[in-house]
Amino acid sequence: MAHQIMGQKELKEQVQDAGLCTGCGACINLCPYQVFYHDRTIVLNPCDIKAGRCYAFCPRTPVDLQALHAHFFQESDLTPEIGPVKAFFIVRAADAEQRKQAQHGGTVSALMSLALQEGMIDTAIVAENQERFLHAGVAVQQPMEIWERGKSKFIVSPTVAEFNRAARSDAERIGVVATPCQAFALAKMRLKPELSSGDNPIDKLKLVIGLFCGFTLSWAKLLDLLHKKTGLDAITGMDVPPGKDVLEIYTEEGVLVFPMEDVQACIREACRYCIDTTAEYADLSVGSARLSGNWEESRSWNQVIVRTDVGMALMALARNSGTLEFHDVPTGNLEMLKKAAWEKKRTALKNLVEKSGSADDLIYLDARDRLLADLKY
Amino acid sequence: MIVKKFKLPSDPYNIIITGVGGQGNVMASRVLSNMLVNRGFMITIGETFGASQRGGAVMSHIRVSSKGTWSPQIPKGKADVIIALEPIEAIRVLAAYGHPGVFVLANTRPVYPVGVITGELNYPSREEIKLSLQELSAQLWLIDATDQAIGLGNPILTNIIMIGAFAKLGKLPILLDDFIKVMEQTLTGDKLEINLKAFTLGMEALET
Amino acid sequence: MSKLLEVREGSCHLLMGNEAIARGALEAGINVAAAYPGTPSSEILENLAQVAKVRNLYVEWSTNEKVAMEVAAAASFAGLRSLCVMKQNGVNVASDFMLHLAGSGTRGGMVLVTCDDPGALSSVNEGESRHFARMIEVPLLEPGDFQEAKDMTRWAFELSEELRTLIMLRSVTRMSHASGNISMGKLQDQLRRAEFRYDGFILDPNEGPVLSAPVAYKHGLQQGKIEKARELFEQSPFNTYEGPEKPELLIITSSACTLYSREAIHLLNLGGRVGLLKLGTTWPLPPNLLKKYLTLTGTILIVEEVLPFLEENVKIIAAETAKEIGIKTFYGKNDGTIPMTGELSPDLVVSALSRILEIPYAAIDPAYEKKAQAAAFFKAPQRGLAFCPGCPHRASYWNIRNALTLDDRQGFVCGDIGCYTLDIFPGGANTLKTLHAMGSGTGVASGFGQLSPFGLDKPVMAVCGDSTFFHAAMPALVNAIHHRANITVVILDNSGTAMTGFQSHPGLCINAMGQEAPKVDIAKICAAMGAKVAVCDPFDLPETQKTLNRLMEDEVGVKVLILNQKCGLSPEKKAVKKYDVHVDENLCIGEDCGCNRLCTRIFRCPALLWDKEKEKARVDDVLCAGCGVCTGICPQAAIVKEVA
Repeated sequence: MAHQIMGQKELKEQVQDAGLCTGCGACINLCPYQVFYHDRTIVLNPCDIKAGRCYAFCPRTPVDLQALHAHFFQESDLTPEIGPVKAFFIVRAADAEQRKQAQHGGTVSALMSLALQEGMIDTAIVAENQERFLHAGVAVQQPMEIWERGKSKFIVSPTVAEFNRAARSDAERIGVVATPCQAFALAKMRLKPELSSGDNPIDKLKLVIGLFCGFTLSWAKLLDLLHKKTGLDAITGMDVPPGKDVLEIYTEEGVLVFPMEDVQACIREACRYCIDTTAEYADLSVGSARLSGNWEESRSWNQVIVRTDVGMALMALARNSGTLEFHDVPTGNLEMLKKAAWEKKRTALKNLVEKSGSADDLIYLDARDRLLADLKY
Repeated sequence: MIVKKFKLPSDPYNIIITGVGGQGNVMASRVLSNMLVNRGFMITIGETFGASQRGGAVMSHIRVSSKGTWSPQIPKGKADVIIALEPIEAIRVLAAYGHPGVFVLANTRPVYPVGVITGELNYPSREEIKLSLQELSAQLWLIDATDQAIGLGNPILTNIIMIGAFAKLGKLPILLDDFIKVMEQTLTGDKLEINLKAFTLGMEALET
Repeated sequence: MSKLLEVREGSCHLLMGNEAIARGALEAGINVAAAYPGTPSSEILENLAQVAKVRNLYVEWSTNEKVAMEVAAAASFAGLRSLCVMKQNGVNVASDFMLHLAGSGTRGGMVLVTCDDPGALSSVNEGESRHFARMIEVPLLEPGDFQEAKDMTRWAFELSEELRTLIMLRSVTRMSHASGNISMGKLQDQLRRAEFRYDGFILDPNEGPVLSAPVAYKHGLQQGKIEKARELFEQSPFNTYEGPEKPELLIITSSACTLYSREAIHLLNLGGRVGLLKLGTTWPLPPNLLKKYLTLTGTILIVEEVLPFLEENVKIIAAETAKEIGIKTFYGKNDGTIPMTGELSPDLVVSALSRILEIPYAAIDPAYEKKAQAAAFFKAPQRGLAFCPGCPHRASYWNIRNALTLDDRQGFVCGDIGCYTLDIFPGGANTLKTLHAMGSGTGVASGFGQLSPFGLDKPVMAVCGDSTFFHAAMPALVNAIHHRANITVVILDNSGTAMTGFQSHPGLCINAMGQEAPKVDIAKICAAMGAKVAVCDPFDLPETQKTLNRLMEDEVGVKVLILNQKCGLSPEKKAVKKYDVHVDENLCIGEDCGCNRLCTRIFRCPALLWDKEKEKARVDDVLCAGCGVCTGICPQAAIVKEVA
């Protein structure tokens, strides 16, 4: 199921104009033609190259999932719901002070810092909150710089764009903190598709830490929502606590709570077509933990799916160095996660069918793909 | 003066100077015409400039007569000489004003149209240009005027070199002295000197 | 020394039509000249400005044509001779004042020179100014060659003083921008002293106030002046006939069309068959003269540009005198013999004559023509207009287009007249979506800015040049601000009236005569009006784009961005390269993925070329102005600049 690589024109038609663009940034910083503005990918000028990297790397151009799986993972690790699983942990950063800077358990920051300290990578690419709730990927070399950027982002950050830039700089070993779509784009780069021109320094990518992701919000729609309640400057953070069905906005004056149905209307359209909640194409993936229904307790822990040998090695380092604190994994926890991920996949496929108008047309996915066969959409 | 009795090859004798905005088309037509006015001829010049100066093709029509004023637009097919500061402009002008008996003096240095720069249009090779111009003229002189002007230190002298070459053609009574007389009205010192050099280079270009 | 100062009467010089008009004004001894620049009229005032000091003239580039006419009128009211000059559409601007001036009358000789542009060689219209003469009821003169351009101008001042009204002298591009031998007349010494008398009897044309009221009375006076002009024109030496006593066909023509017609008669060798009546006084037409020549033949061809002005007026006389002169067959615009749009040429007159008289004519041998046309088609690629190398507008529009694209709400630009009009051509960014009169970009944007309640959700931008700002954009901007139009106005300030050749304007510290003048600050004006004002250098691409996006996102009221950068052709910048720019061929990746020739394919500077053999970009040293802007767009930093 080899898919033809096309150019900017097709990318725009099939992805950007079709509402499929995730804003991952994979097509940015490769050339002067696509740029990122606010939370959108913009075609600044037309390019007439027939087969471009922008199209090849985009996580929403047609893709052969089986080939990706075969390339990256051991068959025995694969689960239909959440991709490969080598191991599953409940952990958090051991340092309680550092945890305060993080969204939940600080696991991502702790692992990325560790990878830097241990020389596994020399550059980490993380998302940074810039003005007015807009984000950008930044390349950092110091662990402290990672901790400063630890909070969850609810608007997409074009993180892969920063990878594209950093990979063409002096950086030699790069680690990326990636959402599922970003990890997916990086995986497509790792497949090294055949291109008539343009470099692909993907071998510099040494570590991908995936983030669980349910959705991101459209910046413009979020602004509209927030404008009714608060000024942008007053916001210090936000979260979607499991089980509560609300969006919590933290301000200096307290917490604003938006019912999920209001928030649903703000979700970026592309997220409706995403089949991956757990960042399956990462070395390991991290999300907020769910412990016995107690949110306040869960809040300071993370769950981690280890997917590759690189991920296993990093977790071993973290355990041995005492970087992470480990919690027992409650019975049924992994099953609960699988169930939620499965539901998300089914919903995404339903949405794709609704969009295309045909059960045989899954737009960027292939209805004949064995990996999708069991999903009754 | 003897030359006052000079008989024009035809009356009016029609010269077109063509080029691209910014190449000094207007100045060339003024200098040439002033030399001829001093020789007692009646001159009519028609010029296209304004917006056309911005990258567009520009043309000066010069009518030389011993009788009177003519239309500032030369009728179609009635050019006697075409002096092109840019080579493909000679081709363009020939399509409207040429005939088998026309003489063409063309600078060889291209100024690419914006459509060529973007890649949408093709600019012909030097050889293709030469063949076209030869086919459409009685006699053709290709002159590396811009290269020579750069050699003199300023590409803007291209137009003067081309006028020098035309003078040497001998179709009209123009000598170096006529040029000096006109240029002395506005220039002195080094500037006059370099223009005289350019004019002389142009005259020499036609000899070789 | 300017040729215009030549004192030897009868000496012969090669003068451009506009220089001839200027010389005519000097020979008439004018004191005051005012104009707004506009091709093809600008050289008239430029030449007068050059000799202003020597000839004791006051010369100004006024802020617009109406003001120019008012300034000139004041001189006339004070008994001096004055000239005002404009291009065809400028007369529309001045026409309100002109209407009242016709009513009030003049004192010192006053002439309006209007230079029309048939075929719109340097315009975005081919408006006909001649109709104003009839509509506003002032006499109209049209010189038929260069000598007449000078002589009629001089005479127009005498005529104005005889009739006590404004005289309109109309030239066209092929007259103003063409040159010919001219025999000089006497330069008149100016001995007049300005004095304005206003406290005499209210109806006294010499001593009373200068008013267009009481209207019916003054209107009657004005019509009496036209009647008098009609009588004077019967004897005018500028109306001439050449040809046989009994022509088969009579051409009636004026202006540059005289030269085309004469040439056409020559080309077809029709000197013995066709008569040529050239009219210099085209409004009001002298009826007896017309009657005399209409009687000569039954077939009349009227040759003129652009609309059938002469044709209609001749036909009225023919109808009124039909009993005496008989029924005529007319050829001209109305029957389609002569095109109703565009400029004429000898060839178009030839084709009209050959059709009417059934004479075959081939301008070019068909076999040659075929070859030549093919060569032009295949070997001479079209030369689209483009911004010059070093032009600030290329950078400005690059920023505007990028900002509009990033903004992603399908925003558009309303434009008007100046070099920045070139945005609509292949060399531009194609952001301009409306294009009309001076200052109209801002006015039209002001209107679009009110349409969001009706569903228009696209951001609205206007562009306007610095000279245009003073000319007609200021009232539009006031309107937009007062009515809270949600628009962004970009003032492309290149420090001069660039398109027409760098005339000064109130935003500069120099006037037409080269004297120091107080600079009127555009940014301060906009701020004082109540706009939110930002200023950028368009060559700073990231900053300008960011500012534009910020202003567009601010949805309340009028935002003004002033983009300051001198025109690349300005006297200060011309031939002075700030940077030596070249392409590092090792870094240039050309057509590969990652660039795909952004610099040549998209940026489109005439000096930045694509070397097909090397497959690399290349800078043409001869054309490059050294602005260095292209170095900021190359994704590979392969375009390198060094301070020259």
